[in-house]
Amino acid sequence: MANCLSAVFLILSGLIMARPLYAVTLSGQVHSDGKPLPDVVVTLKPLSHDPRLSATAGKPVSWRLDQKGKEFIPHILVIPPGTAVYFPNSDDIQHHVYSFSKAKRFEIKLYKGTPAEPIVFDQPGLVALGCNIHDWMLGYILITETPYFTQTNAEGHWSIDVPAGDYQVSLWHPDALAPDTLPNEIKQIQTAQTLRHSIDLKAWRASGKPPDTLQMQGYIERF
Amino acid sequence: MNSLISKYVGVLRFFCPWVIGLVSSDSHADLFDADFSAFNLNGLLDLRYQYSDSQPGEIENGLGKFRDGGNNSRFLANEAALVLQTRLDWDWSSTLTLKYADHQHTPVDLSEAFLVYRPVSTSAWQFGTRLGMFIPPVSMENIGTAWTSPYSLTSSAINTWVGEELKVFGAEAHIRFQTEGGDRLKWFAAGYANNDTAGVLLAWRGWSLHDYEATLNDQFVLPESLGIQTHLPLQASVTKPFVEVDGRPGYYSGVSIDRPEAYNFRVLYYDNLGNPTALENGQYSWRTQFWSLGLQVHLPWEWIFISQGMSGQTRMGERIQGLFAVDNGFWSASFLISKKMGNQRFSIRHEYFATDENDFLPLDQNEERGHALTINYNLTLAQRHQINFEFTHIDSDRQSRVNLDQQTRQEENLWQIAYRLFF
Ligand SMILES: [Cu+2]
Repeated sequence: MANCLSAVFLILSGLIMARPLYAVTLSGQVHSDGKPLPDVVVTLKPLSHDPRLSATAGKPVSWRLDQKGKEFIPHILVIPPGTAVYFPNSDDIQHHVYSFSKAKRFEIKLYKGTPAEPIVFDQPGLVALGCNIHDWMLGYILITETPYFTQTNAEGHWSIDVPAGDYQVSLWHPDALAPDTLPNEIKQIQTAQTLRHSIDLKAWRASGKPPDTLQMQGYIERF
Repeated sequence: MNSLISKYVGVLRFFCPWVIGLVSSDSHADLFDADFSAFNLNGLLDLRYQYSDSQPGEIENGLGKFRDGGNNSRFLANEAALVLQTRLDWDWSSTLTLKYADHQHTPVDLSEAFLVYRPVSTSAWQFGTRLGMFIPPVSMENIGTAWTSPYSLTSSAINTWVGEELKVFGAEAHIRFQTEGGDRLKWFAAGYANNDTAGVLLAWRGWSLHDYEATLNDQFVLPESLGIQTHLPLQASVTKPFVEVDGRPGYYSGVSIDRPEAYNFRVLYYDNLGNPTALENGQYSWRTQFWSLGLQVHLPWEWIFISQGMSGQTRMGERIQGLFAVDNGFWSASFLISKKMGNQRFSIRHEYFATDENDFLPLDQNEERGHALTINYNLTLAQRHQINFEFTHIDSDRQSRVNLDQQTRQEENLWQIAYRLFF
């Protein structure tokens, strides 16, 4: 009898394991003070230990983080660990990009038009980028181990297809008023769901953009 | 002319040890690297129409609160400035501001000239310094090309004085701590020379509101008919804002707390350590000390609030029975709100200013009290063409106006239309 039961258990569990992971669409809308908030990073960390859930899709590809119009483009880049990021300079002036973040400390001197060696980001974490010449230039690289991440579009909307399961859903934005209180919740995702979040910002103008007049761009941080 | 040359030689002498030190050190062997021919030229052209309904101002040797007063309407080329920034290497750069302005003593002259050392830091701590001729970091409003303000044409009383008399020649250093969230805490300090006459204008002319900044070889005519030279026969009829008289350097030091695009708070203490009895070529050394506070807060819907406060004292001459020949306390506070609507900006500033007196020359009356309102609207096209409409009203009461057969209390108005080109 026991043998019989365990055989049934084995067959059942084999069936469960072999069950294809069906994809569920999780989507959401993020607002700040009633207005749609773009560029919010949404990450979903699988809570079960099914290796198929945490497997990174393929090997890391390399990314570009451009300096264009005295701005980091994109403003926020989300990558898995081990990704190589190229820092080209599309402006005809020099940029001096640096990071003092724990996840990766580096400095690159970007002559105009000169492509540089890529920087490889090994450790998970957040890297804040600055430019020593243009004080307003700010950019972010978020290195995350989960393969499930996306960002909100200009309408504050995000959407991602994930295998059904339990996830920790986290939101992040560089201008958030209180980073510790950003939405971070556990969700059972079996059927399509739409989430709604609101984030309070510390600044009313997006960080990292050049001043919009030559009067203000001509100003050098003087002290 | 001689004094002009000696001043330039002095500037060179000051820079030379630094430049030699740089060239000889290995880490800066690439200082004159061919890749660093990079320079940046910015500038300003400022054309105006003004109508004033006021007393004669400083240019007319009067005690009006505007620089150019009287019942006048005029067109003028208010200012033309060139700002040349040169990158010497990745850590060193230089900034040179050359300007022409209406009624400037030397038609084309340097208004700022300094070297900046700002090495990149891959830790939370960052260090930087600048050396040369520069304006102390008091103003929260004059943050545009060539020390212009995006909020108004006329500077506040505090910032007008900063531009007139506070330029220094020296070295300033800062240490900055930055959190991973981008918040910054900065401590800064400077030692300087060529600032011994700071305070003269506040004492004898009083606070003023305009947008003229002094230059390297500048001089201002002191108000006439006040009997200044009767009390102090050795005082020249002009004051030179950028001279060294007593050979004693001064200092300032402060702290700044900054959350970019949210708020910035800055406090600064200044003391020129002037010897109040020193005199050279008709220029007295004044002992001038003050506290300066500045606050800038970004509010919802692109409103910004800026407030500055200053309180201090300036003294000059012999001390008899505990009293100086001239001893004036001064204070001022300004409150500005501004809203940006795309390429338009609307700003209102209200401010108070006062000086009081505690010296042994009661005939030399320097106390005053006043307030001012400035309303500005500007429109910037293609990031560079800026049209401004501005109105300023000043209501002030100054005792020494009786010497000019004027009412002590005066209400003055200035209407301006300006076209400013930034490049
Ligand atoms: Cu840059």
